[in-house]
Amino acid sequence: MIKKINKTLAAIAISAAVASVAGVAQAADTIKIALAGPVTGPVAQYGDMQFTGAKMAIDQINKKGGVNGKQLEAVVYDDACDPKQAVAVANKIVNDDISFVVGHLCSSSTQPASDIYEDEGIMMVTAASTSPDITDQGYEMIFRTIGLDSLQGPTAGKFIAEQVKPKRMAVIHDKQQYGEGIATAVKNVVEKAGIDVALFEGVTPGDKDFSALIAKLKKEKVEFIYYGGYHPELGLILRQSAEKGLKAKFMGPEGVGNKDISAIAGKASEGLLVTLPKSFDKDPENAQLVAAFKAKGEDATGPFVFPSYSAVQIMADGMKATNSENPVKVAKTLRSQTFKTPTGNLAFDAKGDLKDFSFVVYNWHADGTKTAVSE
Amino acid sequence: MPESVYYFIQQLLNGLTVGSTYALIAIGYTMVYGIIGMINFAHGEVYMIGSYIAFAVLAALAMMGIDSVSLMLVSAFVISVIITSTYGFAIERVAYRPLRNSNRLIALISAIGMSIFLQNYVRLAQGSRDIAMPSLITGGWAFGPEDGFQATVSYMQLIIFVVTFVSMSALTLFISKSKMGKACRACAEDLGMTNLLGIDTNKVISLTFVIGAALAAVAGVLLGIYYGVINPYIGFMAGLKAFTAAVLGGIGSIPGAVLGGLILGVTEAFTAGYFSSEYKDVVAFSLLILILLFKPTGILGKPEVEKV
Repeated sequence: MIKKINKTLAAIAISAAVASVAGVAQAADTIKIALAGPVTGPVAQYGDMQFTGAKMAIDQINKKGGVNGKQLEAVVYDDACDPKQAVAVANKIVNDDISFVVGHLCSSSTQPASDIYEDEGIMMVTAASTSPDITDQGYEMIFRTIGLDSLQGPTAGKFIAEQVKPKRMAVIHDKQQYGEGIATAVKNVVEKAGIDVALFEGVTPGDKDFSALIAKLKKEKVEFIYYGGYHPELGLILRQSAEKGLKAKFMGPEGVGNKDISAIAGKASEGLLVTLPKSFDKDPENAQLVAAFKAKGEDATGPFVFPSYSAVQIMADGMKATNSENPVKVAKTLRSQTFKTPTGNLAFDAKGDLKDFSFVVYNWHADGTKTAVSE
Repeated sequence: MPESVYYFIQQLLNGLTVGSTYALIAIGYTMVYGIIGMINFAHGEVYMIGSYIAFAVLAALAMMGIDSVSLMLVSAFVISVIITSTYGFAIERVAYRPLRNSNRLIALISAIGMSIFLQNYVRLAQGSRDIAMPSLITGGWAFGPEDGFQATVSYMQLIIFVVTFVSMSALTLFISKSKMGKACRACAEDLGMTNLLGIDTNKVISLTFVIGAALAAVAGVLLGIYYGVINPYIGFMAGLKAFTAAVLGGIGSIPGAVLGGLILGVTEAFTAGYFSSEYKDVVAFSLLILILLFKPTGILGKPEVEKV
């Protein structure tokens, strides 16, 4: 019993300490925004896109006088796209008394972290996680400025069924929440369209040798392969398929669509089909913003740069509209209004997803560039 | 021949290639264990460093405008083996020698620490992104029906078989015939006694680490070029698989490490080829458990006499 009382006392003491720290932090005249995503690890380049976009938004908002008379301040947290580290980062953000988070990147990191933010009343906007499960929980503090797998999968599936029309195809995924989710969606759509899915199989992320799988794909005589996952594995699959004489066309989600896939696969990446969010940097309305990125020597072409910019902007707009930095109030406002951003006019549904977001199919080239196939 | 025969041959070749690479790395584990009874968990990272040095050499040569494939290969091998061996030597000196007379568990923890250190050291120095290596040797043979399933073997696969076989034979000869090899075997038998008889056991142990690191460097160069992608994390998985191969074949036995590697590789390829690649690790590790249940010392391992 005494032990229990001691624990309670300790808890009270700790929360008092936290509260006093919180008091100090709120007295400062900046509004901190946590940018959570991979700074390190194999998908760090996607993290860079996210940070580039968000930091630009923070800079520009600050130049225009900030929000409610206060400046925004970016604080970067590295989750390395590791669910365990994401939880640690989320707890750190809670301890650092930050109320607004842009992140995380990988769906498998965003999911566990979002539980913590919801419990602690912290507003989180992800600009990159596309797993439907994240917003399916009906959380009030969680938003996203990008489309869902459940949207990207059907887009890809529809394209395969209507434009490619293969007789036999295979669907491969990396057994992760993101990859398997999209792969399953694609499989369901193409099977409804009467395409024979000869193979639906998972590979282990981090594997280097896919020769056994490629031999199997060759034996099954598939004409088309959809891969749900990220570029390190697909790059190797493409490269080894070319070496082993597998003549099939490949397609993947936005997780494979970056220049590294061309570095890994070389010529074998030519003609790969990728579904990506619309290239916001090609939109004439964003020319000024693209020039601002160029002036800072930053790359504005990544798929998550503009959604991250919008994520920061809607937070700032929400704070301005409510004239407060209370994340709960801001979250309520976001659901009731439409915001004009570089990624279009954003409005959120009850789950925190965008009411309207479309993916576009691109043809990837060996030099790391892409051309749109469908609009 | 029917198509299914070609398919079988293809999967066998795939398995043997992967198995050879496991074997090359497994030799390093097994040698160290055979002599000082310690599992060098940093060995996978040594392999990774070998890959990075090969990449640095190739990049430097490309910058100097040298594009002769044989010269690039030879210099990548030579420089990587020399520098990686130095790493192997230094790791033993810094992390294991001071702990040699303490509890085995302490040396094991030191090895895990070393592994984490090396991984992060390369990550900080080189960045965590995937680095693409140029494919120096392309092409190969294809056989089978023109319109049906064709089995393929690339030149690179052949090189991997040959290098593994040559390295293993040379090492076996060295251990069984040379004077230094005899000293190695003596150390494996009884380290304390060998020392008393006037053999410099420190030198023998250093040599073991150098040989293990050199072979890991060979594997690093070969696999870096074969798969074409390296990152600071490749050592972990490769080390784990190689360690499994060493245990499967009987840790402490060099032919056992090669046999274990090949069995592991072929099992994985057949599971992926005839069943599903999702289950290849499950089947491979179930096999390990089964073999250890019936033969706890591994396939070629000698039962260890309990020293009192």
